[in-house]
Amino acid sequence: MTTKPTAKELAGLLARLILGGVFIYAGVIKALAPAEEFAYAIESYRLLTPKLALWSAYVFPWIELYAGLLLAAGIFTRFSALFNGAMLLFFEFMLAQAWLRGLPITSCGCFGSGGGNSITREFIQNIGLIVLAWAAFRYGSSMSADRLVGPHDA
Amino acid sequence: MIERKNARLLALATLLIFLSTLAVLLARQFNLGPTMAVPDYRAFGPAGAPVQIYEYTDFACPACRHAAEKIDEMMRVFGAGLRVHFKHFPLTGIHLWSLRAAAYADCAGEQGRFKEYAELLFAGQEKWAQTKEEPKEFQAYARQLKLDWPKMLACSDAPETLRRLKLEIAEGDVKGVNATPTFFVNGRRAVGSAQLIDQAMKFDNVLRSAAKP
Repeated sequence: MTTKPTAKELAGLLARLILGGVFIYAGVIKALAPAEEFAYAIESYRLLTPKLALWSAYVFPWIELYAGLLLAAGIFTRFSALFNGAMLLFFEFMLAQAWLRGLPITSCGCFGSGGGNSITREFIQNIGLIVLAWAAFRYGSSMSADRLVGPHDA
Repeated sequence: MIERKNARLLALATLLIFLSTLAVLLARQFNLGPTMAVPDYRAFGPAGAPVQIYEYTDFACPACRHAAEKIDEMMRVFGAGLRVHFKHFPLTGIHLWSLRAAAYADCAGEQGRFKEYAELLFAGQEKWAQTKEEPKEFQAYARQLKLDWPKMLACSDAPETLRRLKLEIAEGDVKGVNATPTFFVNGRRAVGSAQLIDQAMKFDNVLRSAAKP
C-alpha cells in the first residue's frame, strides 16, 4: 500500500532535488572547464599552495557532481544530505576567512570563473543551501532510491 | 536484508558515478563546455555573427601560418557572417619560443597592434622559431610597428599575461586540442585549414546571406 507524501516529505524531496541540482551544476560547469581556472580561484583564498590548489581543482568538481547526483537520486539520502551540508559548511568557512582577512576575491569560483558573485552574496546563498541540506536530511527520503530498492529502515 | 539493500544502493551509486563521468568526458570531447572569452584585440568580426570560429594557434607552427592566410581570406569574403576568436595554444614541447611570441603578441594587442604583430610573427616564423637564444625579431617587429618596447617587455613578464596564456593552453587540453591549428566552427572541430574550409562550407548559406549588403 502506498501512502500520499505529507507536506514535510514533499518539502524534503524538493530540498533534495534543488540542493542536488545545485551541486551537479557546480560540479559539471567546473569539470568542463580547465582545472587551472578553478585552481586560480582556490589560490585567491590563500590557504593552499598553488600545487595543492591545482590538485583540489582536479578533484573537487567531481566530488560535487557525485555528491549532488547521489543526493538528487536519494541514494543513502541521509548520509548524502549530511555530506553535502558538510561541504557547504566548509565553503562557508573558506568565504568567512577570506572576508575576515579582507582578501581581494572577485570570483569565489563556486560556479566556475564565469559566474562570480560577491563573497557576501555567496555566503548568504550558502546559508539557504544549508537549510535545504537540513530539510533533505530530515524529510528527504520520499521518492528516493533508498525507498525504491528496499523497505524503509530509517 | 539491510546488507542486500546497501549492496543494491552501492551498485546504483557506482552506475550513476560511472555514467556521469562518461557524460562529462564526452561533453568535453564534443566541446560542450564553456569557452573563455578572448581579449577584444584577439576577436575579429561582428559580435553577433552567425558563424563563430575559435582558432587554437601556435605562432611557430607552419600550418598555422597557412591557416591564418585562409582565415584572412574568409574574413574578406564573408565579413559580416564571421567572427574569429584567436586562442593561443603554443606547443611548448617542440617550439621553444612560441609561448614568448604569444606573450609579446598579446602585449602588442594591449597597445592596439595585435593583428599586425601576429602577421609579422607568422611572416618571419622561419627566422625566429628555431633560434637557441631569444630571437631579436620580437623587438625588431615591435620597433617596426612603433610599439613601446620596454612596456611590452614588462607586460610579457607580468604574471597576468602568463596566467592568461596558461589558461588558454589548459582550455585547449580540456577540449582535446593536441595539434595546431585546431578550429571550432560553431562548436564543430576542424584540424588544419582543409578541415576548416570543409566545416565552414557547412555554413555556406548562413555566411553568404549574412555577407550580403
